[in-house]
Amino acid sequence: MNSMAIEVLTPRYGIAWYPWAVQYFFMIAVSYSALLLTVPGLIFGNKNYQPLARVALLVTVTCTLVGPVALLADLHQPLRFWHFYANLNTQSWMSIGSLLLPLYLVMVLAYAWLAWRPAMQEQAQEPGWIGKLSGWISMGSWQAPRWMLVLAGLGALAFAFGIMLYTGAEVAILKSRPLWHTNWLPVMFVLTGLVAASGLVVLINRLMTGNDEEINRQGLKVIFVSMALAAVVAALWVSEGITGFSPSVEAAFESLQGNAEWRMVAIYGLAVGIVLTLATIAMLRRPGWMTRAWIAGLLAVHIGWTFRWMVLMEVQTVAKNTAGYYQYAVEAGSSGLLGIVGTFGLWLAALLIIDILVPWKKGLQAGSH
Amino acid sequence: MDKIRRALLGQIAKLTAGAALVPLSSLASAGINDQPPRREGDPSKRYAMLIDLRACIGCQACTVSCHIENEAPLGSFRTIVSQYEVEHEETGDIATFMLPRLCNHCDNPPCVPVCPVEATFQRQDGIVVVDNDVCVGCAYCVQACPYDARFINEHTQTADKCTFCAHRLDVGLLPACVESCVGGARIIGDLNDPDSQISRMMKEHYEDLMVLKPEMGTSPHVFYLGMEERFMSRPQAKPAIWDVRTQEGEEIGYEFDGH
Ligand code: SF4
Ligand code: SF4
Repeated sequence: MNSMAIEVLTPRYGIAWYPWAVQYFFMIAVSYSALLLTVPGLIFGNKNYQPLARVALLVTVTCTLVGPVALLADLHQPLRFWHFYANLNTQSWMSIGSLLLPLYLVMVLAYAWLAWRPAMQEQAQEPGWIGKLSGWISMGSWQAPRWMLVLAGLGALAFAFGIMLYTGAEVAILKSRPLWHTNWLPVMFVLTGLVAASGLVVLINRLMTGNDEEINRQGLKVIFVSMALAAVVAALWVSEGITGFSPSVEAAFESLQGNAEWRMVAIYGLAVGIVLTLATIAMLRRPGWMTRAWIAGLLAVHIGWTFRWMVLMEVQTVAKNTAGYYQYAVEAGSSGLLGIVGTFGLWLAALLIIDILVPWKKGLQAGSH
Repeated sequence: MDKIRRALLGQIAKLTAGAALVPLSSLASAGINDQPPRREGDPSKRYAMLIDLRACIGCQACTVSCHIENEAPLGSFRTIVSQYEVEHEETGDIATFMLPRLCNHCDNPPCVPVCPVEATFQRQDGIVVVDNDVCVGCAYCVQACPYDARFINEHTQTADKCTFCAHRLDVGLLPACVESCVGGARIIGDLNDPDSQISRMMKEHYEDLMVLKPEMGTSPHVFYLGMEERFMSRPQAKPAIWDVRTQEGEEIGYEFDGH
């Protein structure tokens, strides 16, 4: 068609999911990924992985507690959250999620409670309010058999897979946004979740458990493998677009062609991904570099979070019906910056409170065998 | 390549306009993301709208009257007329193209099954509505609509959209946009009634009717007469109004920059 069109008049549509959504998707992905990291040490009782499991469990619990808060905040009518249960519509992925999430939370708390309980019981012998509180929390001095821990862990794991599935499907089923409408998206959520969770574990290892080398090595390995798999997935997604017809890839290329900002972001994402992957290789190869693993950890957390920001926020700026892109600038208020900072603040508070109350660095229940 | 695809989409658009006449309501089932059963409304009717673009002058009377009738917040619209300027590259001739947009009251509305609390639902007469007392404001439906026909109303903090003015239709009045349309471009009516004006016009112009974004499989029930294929999906056009910025990137006089 040899004519040019200009859109003269069209309304601007605001974004409908706020940064709270990014916070939820980030927290919950770190939560289920960190839960996976506890499996070898805690559920299988493999001694080599117990230090890793210790840190990962702390990450799991804190993120599991904070995630749902962010989710609630993303509702425009948060006080109506009980409608989810009063007006169940199990045909909606979001509704399925509203059923899975509390069960997941309960199972994770049960798992952590059983894992931390022996140390809590020990602490209960101490004088003072911490001892008293530990007594209450550990609910008596009876010994919980190991199978209870394993059972709780497997239960949490089962719901974790449910969370992976629903958070991915919820977004990926939306045909209206071609960029989201690909089966690779849920896979990418899980892989980048593993990257971020391992990164956070490595970071906390640096800050709270004395930069344990074994934890660093195991964390870096998970980051490396997940990054490599993410690269494969990205390649498959693109090749799907080249060899066949994939509206998702087509929409991505359209945005890259038409928008300089997107080009910048794509180049940045690629660069950071390559840097992180190379850094993990270097650190794993050169023993002396391992002490700097926290730098890779920081980068890994950044990648996991930014991926969700790009997917959930930036994609919303692509006009569905009209030409061009919406400008989205993060607002200062609770639906923007305050929400982002607030979620991280809440997470930090949860971390510190647990650190004060729970002697989580001591041997876990699995370690007593 | 692009031309072929567009032509193909054009074909689909025409076909879908035809297929839309077969009611999908019978196909509702209970799998994840399937359409839940319709409820309320007159089961004997199927409301739809036909927009005769040849008669639209782009005056925005519908936009304004809808805004007043339905008290949408400033800057949010249940209906609006997109306006395009098309310049012929060789001759430099300029033509304008008007495209009234509203909820398509799709027969396979992707906004309905996603709602976690069944606040959004389709009536048996085909009208898609939101129960604002139930809606939790999760905005999932806003994401799911391929037409940007929904928004979160900043006053009610719940989902908002065109209802074909169901409150007026139910008492025998016409929707505000239809009532105020200067050119008589908007025709609303019952597709189940073969003698309604819309049914007669649909029969007469069957070949030329188009719907928006047919590739989404939503089976829209707002039909366009005199539509150009290039505007059917996201148009490849230069967005003008967002470019009204100063050198520093600051907006100059965008009316609704209030939030
Ligand atoms: S146009 Fe959008 S809001 Fe209206 S019925 Fe279709 S999907 Fe739902
Ligand atoms: S915003 Fe309201 S109507 Fe829309 S999906 Fe959420 S609860 Fe349903």
